[in-house]
Amino acid sequence: MPGQDMSDDLTLYHWEPNANSGKPMLTLVEKGVSFASHYIDLLAFDQHKPDYLAINPMGTIPAMVHGGRLMNESTAIMEYVEEAFPGPALMPADARDRWRVRWWMKYFDQWLGPSLSMLGWNVGIGPKVRERDPEELKAAIDRIPLPERRVAWRKAIYGLFSEEELAESTRRILIGIDLVEKTLAQREWLACDSYSLADINAFNSAYFLPISQGEHCNDEKTPHIMRWLRTIYARPAVKTTWAMGRTAMANRIKIFEGEEVEKW
Amino acid sequence: MVMTLYHGEPTGPSLTVLAALFESGLEADLHPIDLAMGERHAGAIPLDDEVNYSVEGEGPVLVADGEPLCDSVFIGCFLDDAAPGSGLRPADPYLRWEMMAWCRWIIERLAPGVAALANRAWTTPRLAALDDAAFAAIIGRIVAQDLRERWEETRAGALSDEHRAASEARVQEAAKKIEDRLADRDWIMGAFSLADLESYAWIAPMRDLLPAAFEGKPRLAAWLDRVAARPSVQRALAQARTAEPAHGFAPGPEINRWG
Repeated sequence: MPGQDMSDDLTLYHWEPNANSGKPMLTLVEKGVSFASHYIDLLAFDQHKPDYLAINPMGTIPAMVHGGRLMNESTAIMEYVEEAFPGPALMPADARDRWRVRWWMKYFDQWLGPSLSMLGWNVGIGPKVRERDPEELKAAIDRIPLPERRVAWRKAIYGLFSEEELAESTRRILIGIDLVEKTLAQREWLACDSYSLADINAFNSAYFLPISQGEHCNDEKTPHIMRWLRTIYARPAVKTTWAMGRTAMANRIKIFEGEEVEKW
Repeated sequence: MVMTLYHGEPTGPSLTVLAALFESGLEADLHPIDLAMGERHAGAIPLDDEVNYSVEGEGPVLVADGEPLCDSVFIGCFLDDAAPGSGLRPADPYLRWEMMAWCRWIIERLAPGVAALANRAWTTPRLAALDDAAFAAIIGRIVAQDLRERWEETRAGALSDEHRAASEARVQEAAKKIEDRLADRDWIMGAFSLADLESYAWIAPMRDLLPAAFEGKPRLAAWLDRVAARPSVQRALAQARTAEPAHGFAPGPEINRWG
């Protein structure tokens, strides 16, 4: 990998290249910063085990350690990577463009993201996790350090979503698809006229839309989203990042090569 | 850059943005609006998708060269980007990470709790006093359905025991978090920053509703006084148009849908 070799000093603890884990992974690779990659198996609940809690007491993934200092919160880590290392600029220079980058990241992190993950857990990941030993699952939940994360994981694992919540998630995803399509019809990239942290953040959730929401997100209905996703997929950094995946999840991105992929 | 700030009473996000503007030294025309009467949506402010779908809900809008900007933390970052050296953010990338992670906790964990309690106490009576047609006129202009629903819940005074308890727990947790943080420092980040404004703006109004959360926390009390004494905050507080400016809330951020 080109750029700085920081791997003695910089470790990223991450799961699959997807959603929150994928955000700092792709940012680091785009900056050309090499790092020690430490895979944490989210579905084995490795993030709540003592070895990992000794590193990140919050028990969340991703986390990054640079020069002995721990950082969590994936979007805040992305901004850190942008500012702390040389390499191609992933933040625009103009103050209003920078504001828009941050706005889009929050929109994905706090408005659209929870809806996408709710449907993902309900249809895809949840049923698979529930095939495990119930006692093991209960113990895994009891180990979670943050009370609010315990609530969220209980919902995710047992699929405790009401019809209302699921309908609201679907409603938001359709609004989100419309808003992203409308925006990308006006400019090449999500937040401004250059590829930025907003595109990296959004791609890590949006790459999955043509698969999970195929009837609403496709070449006919959302040509600008499809153009944007394919342009990002063509970047070498995306290939490098997705090669760090270890499960079938990472193969879903092959949809942009025209391959048939598993929905979940 | 030509800037106009449409702001509510100096509390919550409007207080953060007013004080951040004064810290930055940048000039902006100030336009006070009554957020709880829906004046943000009344037509004078050029709203766009970003403002309409702001996670913050009803907050101030800074129009910069014609573009409306929202979300108090990001307006603070914008002002710091536009006026480098304002001191709103630390210069060191690690401290910046720490400040953004802190502010994220405030806006995602504390703010929805404060908004729920403050609106139930102070906004519900104002909205309940409106007749149906007047209220329908306000929310009819609101684009985002989930925000519109939070207006309806506020008018109805709908706050379940569970939601209230969770909100109060957030305030308690934040008060302790700030008290602990100040063990070795005067300001959240060591030096004064946007994190002090954002934290103050959300937690200070809770002194009137949940005084127990502030008891036995001398560092928190001293910090509240320290923030309030800053000239930027004094000038922001001087923009008040009502007797109880700290109570001037409007439907804000929602509780995280994952709980």
